[in-house]
Amino acid sequence: MSTMRRGNILQATQSLKNAKARSFLTMLGIVIGVMAVICVVCIGQGVKQQIGNRVDHFGKDLITIRPGNNNDSTFGNGVLLASRLSLSTSSLLTTNDLKAVQDTPGVRLSVPLSTLPGSAEGDNRVDSPLVIATGKDLPEAINQKIAFGGFFGDDNHPNIVVLGPNLAQQLFDERVPLGRSLNFHGQNFVVGGIFAPFDAAPFSLSADFNNALFIPFAAAQAIDANALGIYQILAKPDKPSNAQAVAKAMQTNINRERGDSHDVSVLTQSSSLDASNQIVHLLTLLTVGVAAIALVVGGVGIMDVMLVSVTERMHEIGLRKAIGATNQQILRQFMTEALVLSTAGAIIGGLLSLLVIVILRWFTGLHPVVVWQAFVLAMGLAVVTGAVFGTAPALKAARKDPIEALRNQ
Amino acid sequence: MSLIELQEVSKLYGFGDATNVALDEVSLTIEPGECVAVMGPSGCGKSTLMNVIGLLDHPTHGVYRLSGNYVSRLHQNQRAKIRRDKVGFIFQSFNLLTRMTALENVALPLLYKGQSIGRRTRKAYEMLERVGLSDRGYYYPRQLSGGQMQCVAIARALVNEPQLIIADEPTGNLDSASSRLVMELLSEIHKSGNTVIFVTHNPELTRYATRVVYMHDGGIIHDEHTKLGEVGRYARQVMYAIPKTTEEDDLAGVSVLMKALPGKHKPKTPRKKTTHKKTNSRKTVRKKS
Repeated sequence: MSTMRRGNILQATQSLKNAKARSFLTMLGIVIGVMAVICVVCIGQGVKQQIGNRVDHFGKDLITIRPGNNNDSTFGNGVLLASRLSLSTSSLLTTNDLKAVQDTPGVRLSVPLSTLPGSAEGDNRVDSPLVIATGKDLPEAINQKIAFGGFFGDDNHPNIVVLGPNLAQQLFDERVPLGRSLNFHGQNFVVGGIFAPFDAAPFSLSADFNNALFIPFAAAQAIDANALGIYQILAKPDKPSNAQAVAKAMQTNINRERGDSHDVSVLTQSSSLDASNQIVHLLTLLTVGVAAIALVVGGVGIMDVMLVSVTERMHEIGLRKAIGATNQQILRQFMTEALVLSTAGAIIGGLLSLLVIVILRWFTGLHPVVVWQAFVLAMGLAVVTGAVFGTAPALKAARKDPIEALRNQ
Repeated sequence: MSLIELQEVSKLYGFGDATNVALDEVSLTIEPGECVAVMGPSGCGKSTLMNVIGLLDHPTHGVYRLSGNYVSRLHQNQRAKIRRDKVGFIFQSFNLLTRMTALENVALPLLYKGQSIGRRTRKAYEMLERVGLSDRGYYYPRQLSGGQMQCVAIARALVNEPQLIIADEPTGNLDSASSRLVMELLSEIHKSGNTVIFVTHNPELTRYATRVVYMHDGGIIHDEHTKLGEVGRYARQVMYAIPKTTEEDDLAGVSVLMKALPGKHKPKTPRKKTTHKKTNSRKTVRKKS
């Protein structure tokens, strides 16, 4: 019977070729439906992965402590440093908070993050760079490598600074200005290390660490202890699995130290990741639903074309039956036609979505991921739609009385 | 054993008052190897008879036995298989699929038999050779003449080697030269042992038949055996079957139309003229019938 099937497919492609414009338009419905489903899923997955990557980069066990009570807003993104300018001094963390964090049992390391105003002067002068005063464990806390030199150690060398790669270029016109000195607030600092380039805005969307000057927290305190506020404290537990428990203990400690003011939040990566994943997931589901409707509309288009085709070829159906085609053989012929249409649409839709994904990857910030399950699902759904909506017209053709059909000219 | 045995077969269309009797208790027995010509005026049930014999249609009443088997109450699919294996159809309007080549058209019944493409093509080519069109295999029907198209249709009817060939006015759309060609072919098929039934309006073509059946108003009014090469005794007398239009008939038609047109009041003289013409032509019509 395989020759029969091959014959059917040949015949189907032939008859579809004979009505090219109509077949193309029908296929277009399926193509768009398939593309919509695949692209939405892949983009959604891409966004999820981007967020996940960012989190992975810092390590899943990173605990973020920041001012403000953000615990009830699920939208809170623990890794987002709100714009450094928009934070008012009243809502900053203090060294007491830092101490409370450090004293929490199970904390392996903790680093404060604070900024200082002022301009730096090396070979060139850079006005108001992002100056971050921090502790010695910053590279480990955020999993960032030092490209050249090293990070400043304990406070025994208070006048060593580390540069972001771009700032190094701006200050000294060279890539590795190790050992060069720069002036900040009238003090001389020696460049002790250069960070490896940060991934695009790893910490916050507004603060680019590639342009940042990192100075020891003690040195910053020496310059101006009053103006120095801590925007954020990063901490890591001794065991990654302990992150939640340690964060909880930390919250209690800080609350106690602050007299139960509840204006500091402690966030773990997983809690913020869960929230954002859930949102992306819901949005993906919603759009996939809409896209699936497009696919079904495409199926209705197939039914329409097949019905027209059956009516148009009534005479042919009559003749085929007269020379000995059974109902099943006619049914199969028209089903094949519907299936060829929908399968071709599914394949074209799949290929086009690959193209769209590549284009999105090249030209936009989105990084859609090729989710093969989405391809299988969308294309399978398209073929099934074709089969379902092709059945009614094919049945209509198969059940035609041969004489009546022959009378149609 | 008879090949075809019809016992009081009737075919009715419609219900109640609108019932239309296409076949009225027709009984007919055809032996293998006969070549039967069926004659009769338009609408007398010839085509319905062909459809019933060819299992395209099933009778409302009566019994039909095809080579001994009762086939009048078979399921559609079983009838389709019998059509495929035992009956070859030839139509007045050729009924070739325009989008297929001659070869593909001929091979079509084999496709429904489930044969491989190689065998289909070989067999179809043999058949085309038999009807003398082996060099036209890859022509599309629109590139062939009417006679050639009918020959392709005959090849298609023969490709399954059926016992029975049914031709419903095979020469109705052909000029006399092509008609001759097609009829020679049919008679050749008959001589090689097939049973052939054909409908015709042309009395001359009964020369190819061994038996002539005359039909009128759904019934068989006469049935005679003839020798090959002889025109049936009554064939030439069924002149009413031959559609005839003369200039006078045309004029009559025009005047009837003009009279029937509403709201157009013509001056008296031309109207008189038309009535005159009409009566005139009426007489001619009457004379003819």
